[in-house]
Amino acid sequence: MAEIIVVTSGKGGVGKTTTSASIASGLARRDKRVAVIDFDIGLRNLDLIMGCERRVVYDFVNVIQGDCTLKQALIKDKRLDNLYLLAASQTRDKDALTEEGVSRVLNELGADGFEYIICDSPAGIEKGAHLAMYFADQAVVVVNPEVSSVRDSDRILGLLSSKTKRAELGNGKVTEHLLLTRYNPSRVAKGEMLSVADVKEILGLDIVGVIPESPDVLAASNSGVPVIMNDESDAAIAYQDAVDRLLGEEKPMRFTEVPKRGLFARMFGG
Amino acid sequence: MNSQSELSLTSPAGINNAPLADKPQAPIDIRFGQLGVLQLRIRTLDPGVILDELSGRFSSAPGFFRRAAVCIDLLTVKTLPDLDQLRAIIEAVSRTGMIPIGLAGEATAIESLAVAVKLPVLSALRTQMRPGPALEPLQAEPESQVEIEVEASSSEPPASDAPGTRDTTALLHTQMVRSGQRVYARHRDLVVSAGVASGAEVMADGCVHVYGSLRGRAIAGTRGDTGARIFCQEFHAELVSIAGVFRIFETIPADLSGKPVQVWLDGEKLHCTRIGT
Repeated sequence: MAEIIVVTSGKGGVGKTTTSASIASGLARRDKRVAVIDFDIGLRNLDLIMGCERRVVYDFVNVIQGDCTLKQALIKDKRLDNLYLLAASQTRDKDALTEEGVSRVLNELGADGFEYIICDSPAGIEKGAHLAMYFADQAVVVVNPEVSSVRDSDRILGLLSSKTKRAELGNGKVTEHLLLTRYNPSRVAKGEMLSVADVKEILGLDIVGVIPESPDVLAASNSGVPVIMNDESDAAIAYQDAVDRLLGEEKPMRFTEVPKRGLFARMFGG
Repeated sequence: MNSQSELSLTSPAGINNAPLADKPQAPIDIRFGQLGVLQLRIRTLDPGVILDELSGRFSSAPGFFRRAAVCIDLLTVKTLPDLDQLRAIIEAVSRTGMIPIGLAGEATAIESLAVAVKLPVLSALRTQMRPGPALEPLQAEPESQVEIEVEASSSEPPASDAPGTRDTTALLHTQMVRSGQRVYARHRDLVVSAGVASGAEVMADGCVHVYGSLRGRAIAGTRGDTGARIFCQEFHAELVSIAGVFRIFETIPADLSGKPVQVWLDGEKLHCTRIGT
């Protein structure tokens, strides 16, 4: 049976789609067979971040409504052989999703031999977000180091522990992971941003990764290559660490301290 | 303040609202539920005075009572209002943003009024006139004309609601109470061994104990037990309330912030002090 991981946050614009694309790609690079589903019906984005927007013919809603088969709608990633995308519909709204339909697609993916299914949740706590998390085994809650994002994440964590299939059946908890994005250690040092320790303390959860704020993320989005594929970037290295931790490896956190300036930089003020 | 479907309302009644996945769901379910309902006890029939008093009290927390269900308790008025007066009172309460959902009082006397204004009589909800005699000395008749109490309404027979009914063990909640969640211990104390997040609510008919950080709201003595107290390990509360007397913390005094604190009621005054110093 496939492991279903929802990437969610409550608040919009914190990096859910970027994270979904990177985690899916990261797992696929570790030879896992991965499907990533865009649940943001009407505001399709994941296809852009993954760079396959021109290859979308059928979407998630088409599969649910029986207009096409799942195989026809799955888009194979052009870089990684064992990564597939199921795009959201841009022309429908979230009411097109049904619990029964989502369940059927997830089961079919599992039967098809997918090991991981990443569900990219829309913002908010409405139907789309609810269905994205409902069947999850694990959740990656994306949070920015600021108070409103932390509160919304707290709300989502509450829903994960009550409004998921696992919670309703008393079938064990959804495994919760916090992923901190847009982290800027020098702003934390100045007291302008919440620190890793603050977020951990407020939400009472361990952190699976800290992604430093980086211009590479925007550049990657605009070029349609998940940022994790850029091996030069700090953000990519941090995402790779996070994927390793999701797979159970222990790794020290990187990029959480202000980098020390080198001797030359200090001498020449560079 | 009524519970919504997505709240995890923990109560000793322990209604399991988890539908079995493979059973087809019936189009409706009828079941007993427990809802926290605000009770507005009035001592005047002047709608203007009620409106002024409510608006004044809400000015510091305008959102707190918006669209909150409220039961209008006529037990404390000297003479029952006539229909026009009652309509004016309901109108005044509605204008504050609260939604009147019922009347309380002597059931036989207010029945015809209730029928005329199309509201139910919530008799089981009648204020427990005051708990044990040990607490009586703290009783002072409040001067204000309006008193707000958070009460737990119940569709169970009133007999089980008799004042002083107390379950012996506290309700234990071991998980973090997240924003938007609400935990209520009926007829007993509540012990939360984890934290209470900002935007979460913990309520008990008895005392509330929080062994983590308290960042949300804590409400003790929801049925009017003025001897109930709130204890927490790390105080960052947004609101504390005992027996309907509440205090909002826009900023937390530096000597209390993050410290072990207890809250108790002395007459009409709430005290918050450090513990263990």
